Order: sequence, then C-alpha cells, then structure tokens
Amino acid sequence: MSFGLLAQEQDIPVVDSLVVTEKYGLRLGVDLSKLTRSFIESDYKGIEINGDYRITHRIYIAAEVGNEERTTVTDYLNSTAKGSYLKAGIDYNMHNNWGDLENLVYFGLRFGISNFNQTLNSYTIYDTNNQTWGQTEVLDSKKFSGLNAGWLEFMFGFKAEVLTNLFMGLNVQLKGRLFEAEPDNFENLYIPGFGRTFDSGRFGMGFGYNISYLIPLYKKTKK
Amino acid sequence: MKKFIYLFLILSFSCEKDDVCSENTQTTPRIVLEFYNLEAPDDTLDVPELLAVGLDNENMMVPITNELIMTRSMIALPLKTDDTQATFILFKNYNVEEGVVTGNPDTITITYQTNDVYVSRACGYKTNFDVQTFSIIEDADQWMSSSDIILRQITNENEIHVKILH
Repeated sequence: MSFGLLAQEQDIPVVDSLVVTEKYGLRLGVDLSKLTRSFIESDYKGIEINGDYRITHRIYIAAEVGNEERTTVTDYLNSTAKGSYLKAGIDYNMHNNWGDLENLVYFGLRFGISNFNQTLNSYTIYDTNNQTWGQTEVLDSKKFSGLNAGWLEFMFGFKAEVLTNLFMGLNVQLKGRLFEAEPDNFENLYIPGFGRTFDSGRFGMGFGYNISYLIPLYKKTKK
Repeated sequence: MKKFIYLFLILSFSCEKDDVCSENTQTTPRIVLEFYNLEAPDDTLDVPELLAVGLDNENMMVPITNELIMTRSMIALPLKTDDTQATFILFKNYNVEEGVVTGNPDTITITYQTNDVYVSRACGYKTNFDVQTFSIIEDADQWMSSSDIILRQITNENEIHVKILH
C-alpha cells in the first residue's frame, strides 16, 4: 500500500497552471530625455535608439546608437561638439519576477565609441590686466574634425512593462574614458554619448529615460 | 553602491568648480623690464619715482591699472592682445604739483607676435608673446641709454624679459 502511494506521487505530472513561460525577443526603444531636451534646450540636439535581445533568463545583449550636438558656453569660450556614438554590451537582470511579470532591475556594462568634431565658435582672451587696453574677443570660428573617444560604462536602471510589451525605463550611467583624440591647443569639452568632460579626470556620467517595445519571438519555460 | 554615490558626489562638485575661472589661474603675462646701472651693468639700479603710462594709436595717454609712482628697479607692462605693437611712456622723477607734471618722460615701443594658448574650459585662452623689437625713442633728455632683450618668449612674469641700462 505504502509502496503504491509512493509510486503514484512520483507519477504526478507538472500541473499546467504552474508552468510559467518567459518572452524572448528584441526590444527596441528611444531615449525620451534626449528628445525632450532637444525641444526645450536651444544648445542641445540629440537622439538615441536603443535595443536589447534576450539570451538567457537574466542576460540581454544590449546596444545604443545615437547622435548629439551640444554647445558649451562659459565666461571665456563658446564651443559646439557634434557627432555620433555606439554603445554595446550586456544587461543583467537582478530582479526576480512574480508569476509572468517581465520587469527588469538591471545593471549593464557597455563599451562606447564616439566620432565627432568640435567647433570653437568664439573665445575671450583670459587677461586680468586687460583694463588698460581692453578685452580681446576672437570671433573667427575654428573647426577641429576627426576627433574620437572610447569609454567603459556601468549602468544601473529599471524597465517596467506598463502595457503588454511596452516598457518604460530609467537608468543612470557612470563612465570611464579609455582613450580620446584631443584637438591641438584645445580639449574635448563634450563627447557625444559620453557627455561633458571634467578637468579632474576621465570620469563622466549620464542618464536615460527610455520607452521601448518588445517584439516577442519565442517563449521559454521559466526555470 | 556606496562607492557609486560617493563618485557621483565628487563629479557633481567638480562640475561647479570646472566652470568658474579661478583667480589663481596663470593669466596672460605682462612684459617684465629690469633697470641696471650704466656704470656697473651687472647691478640693478632703482629708478626714482618711476611711473608708466600707455600710449594709444592716437598718441593719447592711457593710465595703467594699479600702476603707482614708486622708486623701483623692475616694472611689468601689459601688452595688447589684439595687436602686435605697444607703446609706453616711462617717467623718471614723476611729480604733479598744482596740476603741472614734472619728470623725465622716455618713450618705448615693443613689437611682438601673439600666440593664444588654451588654458581650460573655464578660462578659455591666454596670450603668450614673442618679442620682435624693443626700442627707446631718442629725445634730447633721454634717461634710458640702452636696452637688451634677455628673453623673447613671454610666457610668465617670473622672468626678466628686457634689461635696461640707465
């Protein structure tokens, strides 16, 4: 009797309602913060298209491609950086979803590369003794072409499914520059994709506010 | 995570600092002249009651900011950053009594080339100079007898650029 009961327990098939599947596919989106800033700020134009492709329960291959134009104005100079960038890497979802929810709380790693140019629109000579002869402003613009930079980026963010297959996400980025081609007798003040540079070193930061749509390709049982 | 927050704080602080040109930043240098004894050319010699003024293209005198009448053996003069020539009048024994200026004025003219050098995001560019000629205009009562360019490249004010015998 007891033997028979044991045999019966072993034969219990997995109940259908407990099987949870996960969607695998390609998610494509745009950075809304860059679009918004393009409309609001007169010294900024930018667009970024991003995408990820799920390869395991937790890991996604991810990439961003974009174009930015940014004018930097300080007391002594006015310069515009313009160019394109590509970032590629992976996202790791740390979040354990309930049931069939598909939200992400993730950290990502990217390698980024940018090709751009900088135009020095004008500058004022820094001269604390200029009261005698007057201040000199140089208005001839000068273009520095063929500039580039590469960096490593850590990302932390979330993506929430707000409607079926439609996601809203927010992320922050911390970047470390690996290399850059600097203009002669000038420096890279802004690098498209990397953001503004700092005198203190090779670190940079950024953020993204994305809307994206998942094109489901197949389903896999959640383990 | 704590490290990340710390790094973000550092970055946001440096953001403020980077955009403001600090007053300690090396500015466009002035030309430095030093006065030597005509009888003993290795020794500096004070010029009594020395005062310098600029002379613009219309031959009008231009006061130099912070320039005071002072007995001294060294003087720093600002060059024009948008031109390649500057003229100054150096008064020896300068004095004003009841609106009448007394003293011995000598005129000097410096010609040079300018070179704008990048400083930083906040300060932009400063100008360095390459001295081409330094001349003392001859007059009947000249107190400066001769000059010698010691250093043609003007990149800071810690060095003597021109030596003058009197």
